[in-house]
Amino acid sequence: MTGLAPGAGRRLAPQIALLLLVILFCVFPFYWMVTTSLKTQLLALQAPPAWIFEPTLSNYRAVLIDDGVGRTLINSLIVAISTTALAIALGAPAAYALARFEFRGKKDLWFWFITNRMVSPIVLALPFFLIVRKIGLLDTQLVLILIYLTFNLPIVIWICTDQFRSIPYDLDEAAILEGASQFRIFRSICLPLAMPGVAVSAIFAFIFSWNELLFALVLTRSNARTAPAMAVSFMEGYNLPFGKIMATSTLIVIPVIIFALIASKQLVRGLTMGAVK
Amino acid sequence: MDFRYQASALALVSGLTLAGAAGAQEWSLEEAAKPYAGTTVDVVFLLRPGYEAAEAMLPEFEEKTGIKVNIIKQPYENSLGEQVRDFVADGDLDIALIDLVWIGNFAENGWIEPISKFTSNPDLTDPDLDIDDFFPLVLNAFGGWNGEIYGLPFDNYSGLLFYNKCMLDDAGFDGPPQTWDELKDVYGPALTKDGKYAFALQSKRNETQSADSFARVLWPFGGSFLDENFRSNLLSDESLAGLNFRQDLMQYMPEGIVAYDHAETVNAFAQGDVAMITEWSAFYSTLTNPETSQVTDCLAISPEPKGPAGRKPALGGFSLAVASQADEDEQAAAWLFIQWVTSKANAMEYLERGGVPARQSVYQEAGVAEKFSFVPSLVESWQEGVPEFRPRFAEWPEVTEIVQEWGTKIMLGDVTVEDGAKELGDRMEAVLEKAGYYDGRKPLAQ
Amino acid sequence: MRGSVGRKTIIAFIGPAVLALAVIGIGPLLFAAWTSLLNFNLTKLRDVRFIGLENYANVLTDEAFWAAMGRTFTLLGIALPVQIALGLGIALLLSQPGVGFLRTLTRLSLVVPMATTYAVVGLLGQVMFNIKFGVVNQLIGFLGFSPVNWIGDSTNAFILVVFWDIWQWTPFVALVLLAGLTTVPGEIEEAARLETRKWWTILRHVQLPFLIPGLTAVLILRTADTLKLFDMVFTMTRGGPGAATEFVSVMIQRVGFRAFNLGLASAQAIILLIITIILSQLYLKLVYKEVRQ
Repeated sequence: MTGLAPGAGRRLAPQIALLLLVILFCVFPFYWMVTTSLKTQLLALQAPPAWIFEPTLSNYRAVLIDDGVGRTLINSLIVAISTTALAIALGAPAAYALARFEFRGKKDLWFWFITNRMVSPIVLALPFFLIVRKIGLLDTQLVLILIYLTFNLPIVIWICTDQFRSIPYDLDEAAILEGASQFRIFRSICLPLAMPGVAVSAIFAFIFSWNELLFALVLTRSNARTAPAMAVSFMEGYNLPFGKIMATSTLIVIPVIIFALIASKQLVRGLTMGAVK
Repeated sequence: MDFRYQASALALVSGLTLAGAAGAQEWSLEEAAKPYAGTTVDVVFLLRPGYEAAEAMLPEFEEKTGIKVNIIKQPYENSLGEQVRDFVADGDLDIALIDLVWIGNFAENGWIEPISKFTSNPDLTDPDLDIDDFFPLVLNAFGGWNGEIYGLPFDNYSGLLFYNKCMLDDAGFDGPPQTWDELKDVYGPALTKDGKYAFALQSKRNETQSADSFARVLWPFGGSFLDENFRSNLLSDESLAGLNFRQDLMQYMPEGIVAYDHAETVNAFAQGDVAMITEWSAFYSTLTNPETSQVTDCLAISPEPKGPAGRKPALGGFSLAVASQADEDEQAAAWLFIQWVTSKANAMEYLERGGVPARQSVYQEAGVAEKFSFVPSLVESWQEGVPEFRPRFAEWPEVTEIVQEWGTKIMLGDVTVEDGAKELGDRMEAVLEKAGYYDGRKPLAQ
Repeated sequence: MRGSVGRKTIIAFIGPAVLALAVIGIGPLLFAAWTSLLNFNLTKLRDVRFIGLENYANVLTDEAFWAAMGRTFTLLGIALPVQIALGLGIALLLSQPGVGFLRTLTRLSLVVPMATTYAVVGLLGQVMFNIKFGVVNQLIGFLGFSPVNWIGDSTNAFILVVFWDIWQWTPFVALVLLAGLTTVPGEIEEAARLETRKWWTILRHVQLPFLIPGLTAVLILRTADTLKLFDMVFTMTRGGPGAATEFVSVMIQRVGFRAFNLGLASAQAIILLIITIILSQLYLKLVYKEVRQ
């Protein structure tokens, strides 16, 4: 601690206490998830719950080796990365146009893009299921990659539009005078400058896709099943394998938390980009 | 509907076909499977003891036949949706796993094949299939619809009374209650004390509410879902008596019983917190396993208590049927698997591994009744069950949602028993009306 | 010359995204609109027929649907103010000088709830709030309270959903508002502090204007996410007990994929969509106004 005046300790005490409380509040469920995943089945259902016990990795062995959770994690990864890449590829140029070009109906178009973010997935899941059934693409990663665009494209467009708006025009005006096309300006000048925004929207798209459940439940079965859908499928009313469920949950949550922590600075920017100018 | 008559007629038919096949003396699974080696059949399995038993036995089948059985594991609550979505999409399931309440739906949609398609083929059918060996009630209820047999009983349940002998002894009882009234009025107050409860009735808002809780109190009191015209019978004195009984019984159950699924109920019993539960036979293996139960030495089993209308225990279970969407080879391979896994020859191994076969012969073998203490009660229960314990018609998936919602609302006291039963009945009738039962478009079969 | 580019260029930039979203976003909606006019049960595909607006009539007169809708807005109405109050508190706490290390740690731990998979939140709810082996009842037992029946009681189950919503999204609100606070120019704030020592006055007159855009975004996103709420409830209470936690998206999923009544579910979905569009247009217009100021 640097430069604390003497006597500051007492003044800071309530602040420290409150901050610790916030940390505890945020992290405790996570702690409980991880410790439950290290308990045997009997221990996991023991009342009152044990805080000190001999941890075991048996749940992880069970879910990874017997139940094939590893494959569902890979599915989740493939789907999340592909849909994120696609959303950026489609969304970044669109955001650029929305930020930089003047055309009729621009504002309505922007509204429409963003409104997609608001639509409940259940609205789309029903018809999507019927359509996908007709064209025979049920239980494929492709379907998830495409349908996740419905919430990823709006995010990318929302965040990137703001990012492109913040880039000064002088640069591309100079480029235009030199005869550069809009594509060159976008690719060589604006896109590199907008990278922070693009990265933020990519992080968001990735997290939302990784965590998605409803579409995955409805549109996949075994081949393309994602990890959250797998975690849910352990919930048989006949027994409560909470150790296994928490082990799977931990495997799902840990990567995305690590990812989010690494990117936490950008995350905060992303949260606020559309809102706080 | 007189199922006994139906079942015996069917038995006659199948007996004839078998007699025709009996000439082929040297039938063997290996021989029969030869043309289908390398075929893969897909089937949905639940995460329950009977399925683990079958999965453990599977390598033998795969080795003998060269047929690969691809198991897709799903919890019960997802398994209907999973299969329906697969069937309407012409997916890849080759075997249908049918809860008895789905049979009308699957059969009417043409998603499953009647077994006669295969039993008429001596190349595919084991001369020792012996369809009469299945408990007639079980075969007909789990696998039959409209006089046709589609599925062979695979994962079979009857409701049983599991009770904690030690707790009952301590309270001065030398046996389980014989009637529901006795359970409530005598055992209830005596066993509910010191944080322990006399009884727990799994009532969670899913199929458990319909099958294990709601229907369980209708039938023994003479009630039923429907009258002979398929109108709601829930407002009859008998049905209301059953529902009021349940309401009254709740004082001897743990708090929050409407959130109890099988797992919570069995666990409460296994921890010694609850003296009696009415649960499926399938939980025998859970409750006798020291890793999951602390009351293995106190466990005792009897048939469910009787009501004014008789025993009428809960009936549930699953059959396996060949899916129509499978191609010819897959169908043949699927049939060979179904036939094998439910066969007389494998019944003992299935039982020992934790499954509950529906073969009468296995329960007659010496020592079985002693080794598996649930057997006498199970055999007794399967003599007097009601096949339409829950109606098995195609509308059940819609009806059960209504029962689940309003059944739990009644238990919670959100509505009175009468109002809830009325609302439930009205909504149920609306579904049946739309289906065409009241204007003669559909025969009254359940 | 700024922004004046050819039609072709504009289409080249924006066309693919519009096309993609039209195909995957609007296409299914049209399909749903059509389905909502049919008697369409997935397990009765032989009895699919046009029934006009009957499904809509059923939805509009179905008390259970409107109860679910009301429940959804009740959740929003309770959770959002708490999230804003707590979030603002945390943001103010984090904007205070001192204990830099602890502040960084807090900021990092705020990320944890937000990144936790929603379905996992519900599973955690089942584990932690179990009446018997749940840690929460153990903890409140230490404080001398008797065990609470969280999941099996209508009111408590609703409170449970509110709790987890607050757990997961208060950090989001806190971080948004913190970012807003950092945009307050230092000199303005210092000048204000010279005039008054009441933090409330400073908040109201100096900081609030900079927080408004963030608050609007929170309002929009939380409203949308509450209308969408499915995963956490599905894995924790499945809408029960009774209908205590049957929120609108949970209900539509049940009608569509458990009772297989896709016609009725589509009508419900379309009505939900209309409500969503009205609300989001309202909100977005609000934002635009704020931004222009």
